Amino acid sequence: MEPINTFSSGAANTVPRHRLFSWLRVWALAHNTLLELIRLKVFYFLLLFAFLVIGSSIFTVKFSFQNPIQILKDVGLGAMSIFSWLLGLLCTANLIPKDLEDRTLYTILAKPVPRFEYIFGKLLGVFGMLIIAILLMSALFAGVLGLREQQELAELAANTPQDQLAAAMAEVRASAFQANLVPGIVLILIKALLCSTLTLLLSTFATSSVFTMLTSVIIYLIGHVQGVAREAWLSGGDVSPMLKVLSAGVALVFPDLQLFNVVDEIAVGTLLPAALFWQVAGFGALYTLVYFLLAQIVFATREL
Amino acid sequence: MNPPAITIQNLSKDFAVPFRREPVRALCDLSLQIAAGEVYGLLGPNGSGKSTTMKILLGLVLPTAGSTAIFGVSSKRVESREAVGFLPENPYFYKYLTGLETILFFGKLCGLSGSTLKDKAHALLRTVGLTDAAERRLGGYSKGMLQRIGLAQALIGDPRLLVLDEPTAGVDPAGSHDIRDLILQFKAQGITVLLCSHLLSQVQEICDRIGIMHQGRLLTEGRLDELLNSHAKPEWTLENASPELLAQIEVLAGKAGARIVEKAQPQTDLERYFLEVTRGTH
Repeated sequence: MEPINTFSSGAANTVPRHRLFSWLRVWALAHNTLLELIRLKVFYFLLLFAFLVIGSSIFTVKFSFQNPIQILKDVGLGAMSIFSWLLGLLCTANLIPKDLEDRTLYTILAKPVPRFEYIFGKLLGVFGMLIIAILLMSALFAGVLGLREQQELAELAANTPQDQLAAAMAEVRASAFQANLVPGIVLILIKALLCSTLTLLLSTFATSSVFTMLTSVIIYLIGHVQGVAREAWLSGGDVSPMLKVLSAGVALVFPDLQLFNVVDEIAVGTLLPAALFWQVAGFGALYTLVYFLLAQIVFATREL
Repeated sequence: MNPPAITIQNLSKDFAVPFRREPVRALCDLSLQIAAGEVYGLLGPNGSGKSTTMKILLGLVLPTAGSTAIFGVSSKRVESREAVGFLPENPYFYKYLTGLETILFFGKLCGLSGSTLKDKAHALLRTVGLTDAAERRLGGYSKGMLQRIGLAQALIGDPRLLVLDEPTAGVDPAGSHDIRDLILQFKAQGITVLLCSHLLSQVQEICDRIGIMHQGRLLTEGRLDELLNSHAKPEWTLENASPELLAQIEVLAGKAGARIVEKAQPQTDLERYFLEVTRGTH
């Protein structure tokens, strides 16, 4: 060990008075969480996404009989949805258990940091990571789509008769990357944020991150099938009041993730009505907020 | 009159155990006061309730009964931690941060920012002798270096109370000596220190007062010199004493009505006292 120098921590007491809520503390926690996720190399995930999108781009040229740009949009948006959910799940599930296991949580909460700031900061860090990931995926997606568009246009120019060329080119341009894809990408982001917040809620009381991940996956699946299941159950004439209450309970606790399937419509070029976009976005934001508040309540009373 | 640095009143803590009706009692009616500026050693075997006491004091665990306060502010209030610097046992900080980034992070949690924070962080790294390792990631730090970065983060908020849980655990003797010197410097600066350690010789050297816990109860506490003196028996350590001299001493002791209780190799006083208390022979 190096010799210890004379004791001097610098100036006299320079620490400002404690405030009930401080953006500085929340920002420090969020920034640190983002740094943790980036330095833990989670963005290798994005490489997989890149391979999938670029690979499908090459594949569709050679083997598909459908509109290759359309297939690319389907694959790209679908992969973006799955990857952002998975990224959020894997990153969030281990945040609190790891801090607890390493006792870093004790050191943080032994400072004048309220527990709600800790949860808030962690969640903002995950949100930051997801926003960066979605932006990178969107940029890559738009780039590959743009390249395919150029290839298609060049092929058309070479092989299409002059009188049909303008119409054919317009068709290709219409199926390529357009502004109407943006609301779809925003909804994919909101869905990932919702699922990450749910995972964080589970991790505030779970004793293992494996349990957190499994439960989160199960809720994700329930969220996707509950709408169809509810319709099937309740469509029969003789439905017991018990089943109705159970169905309403499931619908309330688990988010109906099928609502986010409007992204599939966007992929085929359908213009999403603004009202529907805001309805789905608001639904996602509301569930995110409720799960966040529940996480705060559970964590506030947890014995560490 | 200034409030005590630590006030613990009738503190009890039960932990629920799954599939068992009866909870486990970790603390039982513990009362304790530590004055500002004191260095207090909280001793006890593993599972005696020291860590639970510290966790309640720091607001990490809620008590079943009783209360704790730091400089008069209840531990249930976040403001009470303004005055505290805490070093947990075997601290593992974020491995992906450098030493400097770690101190800056904890400084921000204390409400510091800008050049004040940077100056303070550099000064603390000098204090704990880690200036050369400031830009290295903690993943590459030795145990002793981690312990020292832990001390630096505990000091970043200008604490009036330092809670140190086994600050020398796993540290080599030289490093342990350095940490002991640092604690003595804190003491000279008037910082109150609550120290939990199994290194009894070090506790004896540093602490003004000690408390010994066992099975969730405070068995005894008080000034170290008083506790040890009241139980001490005169003990000489002789060098180059011939068997004849020892025989003469025995004869003289017998004539004076004294009895030689034990002939043994010298032992640390506190160590013996600690064993007596925890084994119920006190």
